[in-house]
Amino acid sequence: MNQFLRSLTPTQQVAALFLIVFGLLVVVSTTAFFLTFKERRNPVHDAAWQAELAHYRKLLGTTWFMVIVFWVGWALGETVATVLFALIAFFALREFITLSPTRRGDHRSLILAFFVVLPIQFWLVATARFDLFTVFIPVYVFLAIPVASALADDPSHFLERNAKLQWGIMVCVYGMSHVPALLLLSFPGYEGKSAFLVFFLVFVVQTSVLVQHVISRRTQRKPFAPNVSRSFNWTSWGIGIVVASLVGALFSFITPFKFGQALAVSVIACIAGSMGHLVMKALKRDRGIPNWGKKGVGVTGANGLLDRVDALCFAAPIFFHSIRWYFNL
Amino acid sequence: MPRIIAPMLAKLTGWLLLGIVRLLTGAQARWYGCPPKAEQRIYFANHQSHADLVMIWAALPEELRSITRPIAARDYWANTPFKRWITTEVFNAVYVERAATAPAAPAGAPAEPEAPLPPVRDAAAAPQPERIEPSMEPLLPMAPMAPPVVDITPEAFDEVQGRLDLPAPPPPPPPAAPLAVTPPAVEPEPAAPVSDPLAPLVEALRSGDSIIIFPEGTRGHTGEPQKFKSGLYTLATMFPEVVLVPAWIDNVQRVMPKGEIVPVPILCSVTFGAPIRVEEGEERRPFLDRARAAVIALREV
Repeated sequence: MNQFLRSLTPTQQVAALFLIVFGLLVVVSTTAFFLTFKERRNPVHDAAWQAELAHYRKLLGTTWFMVIVFWVGWALGETVATVLFALIAFFALREFITLSPTRRGDHRSLILAFFVVLPIQFWLVATARFDLFTVFIPVYVFLAIPVASALADDPSHFLERNAKLQWGIMVCVYGMSHVPALLLLSFPGYEGKSAFLVFFLVFVVQTSVLVQHVISRRTQRKPFAPNVSRSFNWTSWGIGIVVASLVGALFSFITPFKFGQALAVSVIACIAGSMGHLVMKALKRDRGIPNWGKKGVGVTGANGLLDRVDALCFAAPIFFHSIRWYFNL
Repeated sequence: MPRIIAPMLAKLTGWLLLGIVRLLTGAQARWYGCPPKAEQRIYFANHQSHADLVMIWAALPEELRSITRPIAARDYWANTPFKRWITTEVFNAVYVERAATAPAAPAGAPAEPEAPLPPVRDAAAAPQPERIEPSMEPLLPMAPMAPPVVDITPEAFDEVQGRLDLPAPPPPPPPAAPLAVTPPAVEPEPAAPVSDPLAPLVEALRSGDSIIIFPEGTRGHTGEPQKFKSGLYTLATMFPEVVLVPAWIDNVQRVMPKGEIVPVPILCSVTFGAPIRVEEGEERRPFLDRARAAVIALREV
């Protein structure tokens, strides 16, 4: 089996990976579909069971969506993948800005963020100008945004408004842009297989978030920071990290890393991702909302996107820069 | 040839516009009190921006969009050939006049909160940090034109332009003050005759279309909608069989504040509530207040 996989070309290997993932999804979705026919004797239990099932089906739907996005991105090449991630960043930033109060004076800065900063950042990614891409937002944009705000002649809540906008750009644009940047990292002897790296990162981070979520649901432990998150506690967090890192290490054969290296980068990515998720929860609490989707109703699809990608937005830059530094790429 | 091309162009523009609106705002429709249904309806909504028209148009499902006609103020939506084309061909809008009321413009300003410093209408002067303040239209010369406004059936008139019926115009020039007081006093019968600004709406309803109206008449400046004008009541009593659906349009004023030309992507939604109706023997004012409350209630849904 292993011999056979190794004999495939990189493209065939990636295709095989997608085949496996789609296969798994089909199996899980079919199971979930048939489970809906199952009826509990107690009607109260039945309702709760159906609600739980609906919740998992929604998660499954998101997974399907993400996998298809990745597949399309991979199948159509790096440029398309970059454009796709730019769109995701756009929608995430749109959600972030929607729920942060802005004033009229912010209009020009917002235009700058959406229509200038975001395209330039992703263009820098697509053209692999890594030296400029890493400093463009933290250096140039962070000075330009307050200038645009100051020129709008509205001093009230100045620092607050700019901080919010800069934070939004940092998370949604800067963080997200590091995911397609992984596609362009050139490990020696790993050409054409960078899609695995993206898959690895997303898979590991989502696993840690999911495991943490399930464990904290099952074992009702005392939350560590109840005002920020009613589910976060160190035990389930630790379990989430350990499980996801081990899974990551087991998947080291699809990455350019050795077992130990894969374990280490997984730990780093999981910690960054889960902590980022917590930080975004604090932001949401401050805005008085349980999730980024508008009052829990997502008809147009894009809503609640930030909930799904926030862990990734924090993990990607740290993952990217740590491996770039360690492997001297 | 142009007979074939023109509708196609309108259709294409419609799709393009719909795509842009969805990309920028999501244009999410949330049907709470009633399902989207092809019955004859009057949608009445809060009014914060000229883009309200586009929002609610984009939020309606395709099937309803073709039978629902929004109301467009002629002075804004017909002042360039392109806007006129897009409102008539793409939005299939009904024009209403409000240019004639320009002199009364200051009354559109918030009477109570800003009374002390009326000329300063910049966003910067406003206290609330949470909301964007679309500033009021520039004040127009107001001296000579007072009489004509009083002549024309004020009842129906003020619904459309929504300027006369406000509590008290703020710091106003002498002629405006009496003017604002008169209309409530004069109150004629609801069914207004000739030169009625409601006439185009009545016609649209007679031909079986649904319509979208903004009973505040003028764009609000804060989150709180202003008092409703009586046109809604007039139409509701004239067409008792038409279903009245309240709608709350959220966030649009942040997308494109007045004076800006580039819209910013911010999620907006239109919430449709449970239909209301004029009860047996219900007076005009209580009904309008109830309608306004129904719209406001949707903000919290």
